[in-house]
This record gives sequence, structure tokens and C-alpha cells, in this order.
Amino acid sequence: MATKNAEAHAAVAKKYEWGFATDIEQDFAPKGLSEDTVRYISAKKNEPEWMLDWRLKAFRLWQTMEAPDWAKLNIPSIDYQDAYYYAEPKAKATIASLDELDPEILRTYQKLGIPIEEQKVLAGVEGARKVAVDAVFDSVSVATTFRAELEAAGVIFRSISEAIREYPDLVRKWLGKVVPQHDNYFATLNCAVFSDGTFVYIPEGVRCPMELSTYFRINAENTGQFERTLIVADKGAYVSYLEGCTAPMRDENQLHAAVVELVALDDAEIKYSTVQNWYPGDENGVGGIYNFVTKRALCQGKRSKVSWTQVETGSAVTWKYPSCVLNGEDSVGEFYSVAVTNNRQQADTGTKMIHNGKGSRSTIVSKGISAGRSDNTYRGLVKVAPGAEGVRNFTQCDSLLLSDQCGAHTVPYIEVRNPSAQIEHEATTSKISEDQLFYAMSRGLDQEAAVALIVNGFAREVLQQLPMEFAVEAQKLLGISLEGSVG
Amino acid sequence: MLKIDNLHAEIDGKAILKGLSLEVNPGEIHAIMGPNGAGKSTLGYVLGGRPGYEVTAGSVTFDGQDLLEMAANERAAAGLFLGFQYPVEIPGVSNVQFLREALNAQRATRDEKPLSGGEFLKLARAQAAALEMDAEMLKRPVNVGFSGGEKKRNEMVQMGVIDPKFAILDETDSGLDIDALRIVGDGINRIMRKPDKAVLLITHYQRLLDYVKPDFVHVLADGRITRTGGAELAHELEREGYTQVAA
Amino acid sequence: MSVLDLPSNRAEAWRWADLGGLAAAAALEPVARADAAPYFLDLPGARLLFVDGVLDEGASDLGSVTLAQLAAGDHPLGRRAGGLGWLLRLDGQAVTDPVQVVHVATGRENHLAAEIVLGEDAAAQVVETYVGAGWSNRATRVELARSARLMRAVRFLQGAGFVSVRDEAAVGQGASLVTTFLGAGHAGSRIDGQIVVGEGGYAEVGGALLTAGEQKQECAVRVRHAEPNGQSHQLWRAVAADRSVASLAAAVEVARHAQKTDGEQSLRGLLLQRTATVNLKPELEIFADDVKCAHGATVGELDARALFYMQSRGIPKPRAQAMLTRAFVADSIERIGNEAVREAFAADADAWLEAVL
Repeated sequence: MATKNAEAHAAVAKKYEWGFATDIEQDFAPKGLSEDTVRYISAKKNEPEWMLDWRLKAFRLWQTMEAPDWAKLNIPSIDYQDAYYYAEPKAKATIASLDELDPEILRTYQKLGIPIEEQKVLAGVEGARKVAVDAVFDSVSVATTFRAELEAAGVIFRSISEAIREYPDLVRKWLGKVVPQHDNYFATLNCAVFSDGTFVYIPEGVRCPMELSTYFRINAENTGQFERTLIVADKGAYVSYLEGCTAPMRDENQLHAAVVELVALDDAEIKYSTVQNWYPGDENGVGGIYNFVTKRALCQGKRSKVSWTQVETGSAVTWKYPSCVLNGEDSVGEFYSVAVTNNRQQADTGTKMIHNGKGSRSTIVSKGISAGRSDNTYRGLVKVAPGAEGVRNFTQCDSLLLSDQCGAHTVPYIEVRNPSAQIEHEATTSKISEDQLFYAMSRGLDQEAAVALIVNGFAREVLQQLPMEFAVEAQKLLGISLEGSVG
Repeated sequence: MLKIDNLHAEIDGKAILKGLSLEVNPGEIHAIMGPNGAGKSTLGYVLGGRPGYEVTAGSVTFDGQDLLEMAANERAAAGLFLGFQYPVEIPGVSNVQFLREALNAQRATRDEKPLSGGEFLKLARAQAAALEMDAEMLKRPVNVGFSGGEKKRNEMVQMGVIDPKFAILDETDSGLDIDALRIVGDGINRIMRKPDKAVLLITHYQRLLDYVKPDFVHVLADGRITRTGGAELAHELEREGYTQVAA
Repeated sequence: MSVLDLPSNRAEAWRWADLGGLAAAAALEPVARADAAPYFLDLPGARLLFVDGVLDEGASDLGSVTLAQLAAGDHPLGRRAGGLGWLLRLDGQAVTDPVQVVHVATGRENHLAAEIVLGEDAAAQVVETYVGAGWSNRATRVELARSARLMRAVRFLQGAGFVSVRDEAAVGQGASLVTTFLGAGHAGSRIDGQIVVGEGGYAEVGGALLTAGEQKQECAVRVRHAEPNGQSHQLWRAVAADRSVASLAAAVEVARHAQKTDGEQSLRGLLLQRTATVNLKPELEIFADDVKCAHGATVGELDARALFYMQSRGIPKPRAQAMLTRAFVADSIERIGNEAVREAFAADADAWLEAVL
């Protein structure tokens, strides 16, 4: 039995394939964090006065706050003065076309397999769906594709820096309304120093004609990445948004503290999918990204719907709870998650479903897969306000353990203040059964393929929520994560 | 084809097989019968390569290769099929996905081209139809929510798709009603009754042998074969009981 | 830190604790001493009557129980209870008649420690009842040697104030501990427990918290499987009426080498009015890979179809509601092995339901 687990463990030991660094010239903000850093970033972005004031207010607030001390996470204290808060590829101030993009960056995205050249996508396989991409390299958005086509449909898809300049009223109306400045330590820090990110607005009644996607890449050393995403779906609008992330292999830990805000008005729907594959550190836990992300959706409108789907395989430490504030009557929140931890990775992830609206419903499906010496925690909250009649929630948390040195934890909070609510929560913990492994192998699969197949089956409910392009990528990623030295 | 010589095997330090020898040639169907606890299932698992079963002495060769040196999937690729007494459930993985991956993994080992989705589906549907299994069941997760009989039928569909050289069928008849028994029996004959193939039927009762007529019947008792005969031995066992015959 | 020197609600284990209720209970003006007689069940065995944490010798029959100086642990609640307390110590193989303990509080605060130490194969039953008013705080240490068996049933019937109990139990190899709580009074409560299960040990902890008015009751119990092959069940039910709050936090922890552990949790809450609150936290913390741990948690109202079915058979709605609620509570106290004790607890629960529904 111990052998079998050791083998399964070895099957999961993986190589990080996205670990190359790109050698390009970059402009850095002075190292460290002060009001000057904040001013520097704001000036770099040509931001209006109100934006600078907003940042400074957040920075002053942050200075009064204490870093959270979470029970299940074991993090050395972070020296916020020993990092760069802004790194920009040295290029022209504005890029008129992709031809002007630094070829090194272009090559980086090619290596990652991300289609930021529209021509290629257009000339691509017949029948392939178009995906508009916003590529963020360290602190700056380097390319946004399919802009013209989206604009024809009325969809605004911009880097957030551009949006602040071009659509100040729209940004100002919603920025910080879902995740307030004082929300938590890392969100407040993000408010002060966020460098770039994506802004999406889907006007009333518009179904976004293609998937929107942002790829984040941390390249520079000692750099934190603090992107900010704001998506507003007006009445009856629909958008599916994909987010992918990678980083080079480095010995130091790098901080990623993003904030994502989603707003869905009456009858609007936002589908937000993430495949997070930041560098997880090596097998001894050296290096890797600290991924402290605040993601929240405001389901403000009647019958509005937000669906979070995440596949988390990377980062040394993940601290992330994509949540839904369900204010609208009959609004719907969904959270589908697969989190894989291996070696010394720590993941503490889950969701909050705050039911304020009558008839609001939520579904939570969390699949945790732990291997090596990792720790994988689901932490969640389902809350029902007194006035919220007829609320429904169903939660399913399953954990799969692949080694006898890892941990799987389930910490659900349920707070109900209305008798008509129906809340159900189920959880199971299991290991890959030897019977399943042997059965699959006796039909011809090798050990790696058998483990991958069983793990994919375990995660299937979540994977099938992803848009097709991403589902394939995510399945491959799980597969690759499981590749490696079978003992 | 299969040559077992003086096989000793134990599980958790407890000796189960104690010097079992058996030779199976192409075109032959052998039945292994015996009382509960005689080591029948252990024999199947040892031949299939299940971890935890330790061979302490003896040898097994399959087409001249040392079978015991091979991992379970390598044995499958070499043409050996183990039909499980208790087929395993794999949630979230459809029959189609499971079987196609398995078949293509075997084909890759033999340097054969993988089957496309269309080719595979055609093959799987034909086998399902031959075994009177609803094609819809191919889309369902492997064995999840299947009745005992459906699981056994599913094993035969897998055998039909994989088309092995040699099949070890462990208590394939258990859990089957009389109609299903006939269908499964016909399936075994159709898929395996060929001059270049062979079958080892492990069974407690002779009723499956009414449908799949064995060339040899062996009595397994206390870890070794104590008697060998033709199909008539099965009837004798049924009449007289194992204690009489095996002793 | 509050005035009582307890952790704040920001600490995860104290998130739902009614710290204000505790302080208010400690300040309750003295009340007349309630008659304890009705709370002693008709059972053979020792009878202990504590008034404000002090033994009333005249009204007690100690049996095999002794009084002893007992050490306090370092738990924020339990540490207050060190000093002279009651001790039940049984040698190997010994079996004793049920030990009944009635605690009468007459206002302000009172603290008391207890220890139950059972030798190999020994068996005991303990029934504890809390009545009166004020803040009653208890620290109970349980130590079960190999194959020892303890059945404990505890009911909170105080009319006002707060009852807090801190249990620390070590369940030895193959030993069995079954503890059942019933909160059916009008006082607030906190059941704070840590049970460590040894090799092949069995632990069952659960019960029903029935809350009404402004009452807040909670359990915060953690079962830790330290060795392989253990089994635990935590089955809790909460019924909350009016503006009350019932919180159930139950955790199972499986240590690295505690393979083949079977841990199960079932937490269910029922709200009778929209002003009431039920909080649930079924927590799993698993460090071993070959375990079977599952939990289920639900909150909701009574099954409308069952209600209608019963009404259509002629049962008036309030009666049907009472029957269904009673059934909801019943399986949590069914585990009490002694029939007389089980019936007494069921009667207490019924009385509460009669009054509230």
C-alpha cells in the first residue's frame, strides 16, 4: 500500500514547463514601497488626479493594516521594501500595432502558446473560435487583440490603464465598489500599487461575440504583480472571460496580489474561468509565487448570474476565495474549483456565497487533489440574510490524497438566518484506490496514464464547466502535472 | 501459450498458491474450479499482475516471455485480459474514454496506429450490441451505478473491443441471471473461441460451462491443482461436491 | 480579550461564542435555590448535588466518587475550574451503577472540575443536569484505559444565565466514549471539547441544542484521531426559534499515521422563525491518506411535503410540526444507552418543543 502511494506520488511529481525567463530591457520603479512609488506608478500611467488620490488613500490605509495570519498557511513574513512594484518592458509609450511589440515578448507568448497575433488566429484552423486576448507582461498590458471587432459590438475590452484614461466615468463608477479599498491587506495594497489589468464593459443586451482572455506573465525578478480586473455586464449582457497565468522559475518568492471585481446587472451573466499555473517553487519549496488574490462578484441585478471556474495548479502559496454577493432577486452564484498541490505547495482556497437576495441560489463544487508534502484547504462561507426567502445552496467538497505526507482540509462555514433556506453541504476524503489503478492498468494504461485518468475523472464536474478551449488546456495541464518520474 | 510452473504466491505473508503448474495452448479453453478459499482469484490476480501478491517461487511465461517481470499494463499490451470478479467503479471517467485510452495505449506499445474517435465508437457500439448492452451505457462512468450483471456484461464488451489473445475470466458468471449467462457465454465463444486464442475460466459452479464448453477442467484445492479432466469432470464436481472429488 | 479574559470572536474557534452572554450571566443577581429532587432520576447508584459548585453532602450519596484537588488545564474556560472537584476512578474490570450529578446555580458564577478515570475494561455511566441561574463553568477530564467504556449524558436546563463546559478526553486503545448533550433550558451555552482517540478507539459526541428567545447556544468540539483504526461519529441537531442563535462547530482531525480512520459528521439545523440563526461548521483536517471521512450538513425548514401528508391524514398542522421537529431532534439523543436516561432527555426535549411550538 505504501508502495502504491509512493508510486502515485511520483507520478504527480512534475516539471514546470513554463519556467523560462525572457531577456528584455525593462524599466523599474525604484525598489521598495512608499508614497513616491505610488506616485511613480500613477505618473507612468498618465493617470488623472482622482486616480492618484484613490491610490494614496489606499496606501495610507494599508500602512495601518496588519498582514492576515491564517491558520493553515505557513508563510515567511514578506519584506515589502525588498521588491519592485512596477516593471515595464522598455518599449514605445504606446504600441500602435503588434509589429511594434518587442519581438522578445512576442516570442515569450509564442512559447506559451498564446495567440496574441490576430492574423495567426484568423488564419488558424477553420472553424476555431476567436478569442480576444489581453496580454499582461509584468506590470503592463502589452497587447489587446480583436479590438475593432469587439468595438463594433459595443464591447469595451481595454487594459485598465487605458480605460481609466478613456472611460473615466465608467471605471470610477465601479472601481472599488465590489471589493472596497479596506477589504483586506492584499486588496488594499493592490489599490495602491496596481499596475495594469483588464477592463471589460458589455453594454445592455449584448452577448459578447467571442471569449475574452487575459494572459498574465510575471517575468522580471523581485517584482510583484498587482493587476486589477474590472468587468461590468450591463442588463441582459453575457460574457465569458478566461484568465491564464505563468511565471519563470526563480529562487525568490514573488508576490502576486490581484483584485478582480465583477458586476452583473439584471439578467446579466458572467462566466469567469481561471487556469492558474504560476511557478510553484521546486520540490523543496524554494521559490514560487505567493498568490494572494481577491476576487468577488456583485450579482446586483435580478436573475443575474456569475460563475467562477478555477483550475489551480501553480503558486507556492495560494490564498484565494472567488466570491459572489448575491443581492439580486433570483440571482445565481456558482463556484467550481480544482486545486492541485504537490511538493511543498500550500493552497487555501474556496468561496463565499452571500445570499441577500430573495430566491438566490448557489452551487459550490470543490475538488482538492493533494500530493507530495503539500497542504490543500477548502475554506468557504455560505451566508443567508434574514430577508432572503427561498435561498438554495448546494456544496460538494471532495478531497483526493495521493501521498501519506500531504494534508487535505475542509473548513466550511454556514450561517443561516432565514428558515426558508435550504442549505446542503457534503464532503468526502479519499485516496486513489489501488483497485482503480490496477483495473485501469490491467486494461493497458501505464501508471501515469492511469493516475491522470482517475484524477481527471475526479475533477470532471469542474473541468466540464470550462469553455472548450480552456477545458482541453486544463486537462492537458492536469495530465502534465501528473507526468514525470514514475518510481 | 501460457506456462505456469510450480507457482507459489502469498499475500500479507500468507501462502495461497503452493506449487501450481498448468499449461494452456492456443485454441484451448481451460476451466479452474474449486471450493472457496482454494486460491482461484489469487491465481487470476497473480497472472494479471496485481500489486500485493508476492510470488515466492515458480515461473510463468506467456508466449515465451517472463510474465511475472511485466507490469499489469504490459501484460495487457502483450495480449492478456483479466475479467474481474468485482469490476471497479471509476467515477467521472466514461466507458468510452476509459476503453479508448486503454486500447490506444495497448496499440502504441505494439507500434500500431491509434484508433480515431469515430473508428473506436463504431467498434465499441458493435461489441455493445453483440452483448445486448444499451449503447448509452458506453457514455456512463465506468461501472458506476451498474448492476452486478451489467458490470459483468461491460467486462465482456471491453474484452470484445480489446480483442485479447488470452483471457482469464474470474467468476464471470456470478451475478448473472439465466438470460445474461447465455449472452455472456455466447460472447466468450464469439470473441475467444479461435485457434490462436485461449481462455482460463475461473468458476465455482459449472453452469457457465454449459455455454462455454471447456477442453480441460482442473480442480484447484489448497493452492495446487489436484485433478484434471475433461468437461465431464465439472458435472462430477457438481454432483459429488468438492470435498469428494478434490481429496 | 473581553473582561473575562477570553479570546475574541475574531479567533476562529470563538467566532460564534456568546462572550457578552457569558459576562451577563456572571453578573446575575442571586436567586432562590431550586429544588434538585425532580432532576434525580430513579436509578441506582451515586447521587451528587452541587450548589454553586459546592457539594451538598447531606443531599448526596458519593458511592465510588471522591472529592479531590484537581489540576486546571490551560484552556481559557477550563483553567478557571481548578481546585476541589469530583473524581470517579474505577479500577480495571470495575463496573458501577450510573452516577448522577445535579448542579444548581443561584446566580453569579461558579466553577467546578471533574475527572473520570476508567481502568482497563471498566465501564461507567454519568448523567449531569444543570438547573438554576448564573454562570456555571465546568472542566471535565476523561481518561479511558484500554477497552474502557463511558456513557455520558449531559442536559442544560438552567432557567437563565450560561453553562459552559470544557471536556478533555483521551480514549484509549479499543475504548469507547459516548457523550450526548441536550440544551433545553433558557440559558446560553458553550460546549467546548477536545477528544483524542487512540488505536481502534471509538468516540461519539453529539446532541441537540434547542434555543429560543435571545438565547445563544453552541458547540465547538474537535475529535482528533491520533492512532490508526479509530472511529468517530459527531451527530448534532440545532433547533432555533425567535431571535436565538444555535451554532454547531464540529471538527475531525486525522493525524499523519492514523490510517484507516473512519470519521463521520452530521450537522443539521432547523430554523423556526426568520429571526433566528443557525451556524454550522463541519470541519475536516486530514493528514493520512487511507481514511474514510465524510460530513454532511444541512439547514432548512420542515419538509413541506411531510407536513402536508400528515395534515391530509387529519393531523392538525401544529401537531404535525411538533411531531416532525421531535423526529428531527430524536436521533441525536437516541444514542443514550440507558433507557431511563434517554426517556428523561426525550421528555425534556418534548417539553421544550411544547412550549415553543
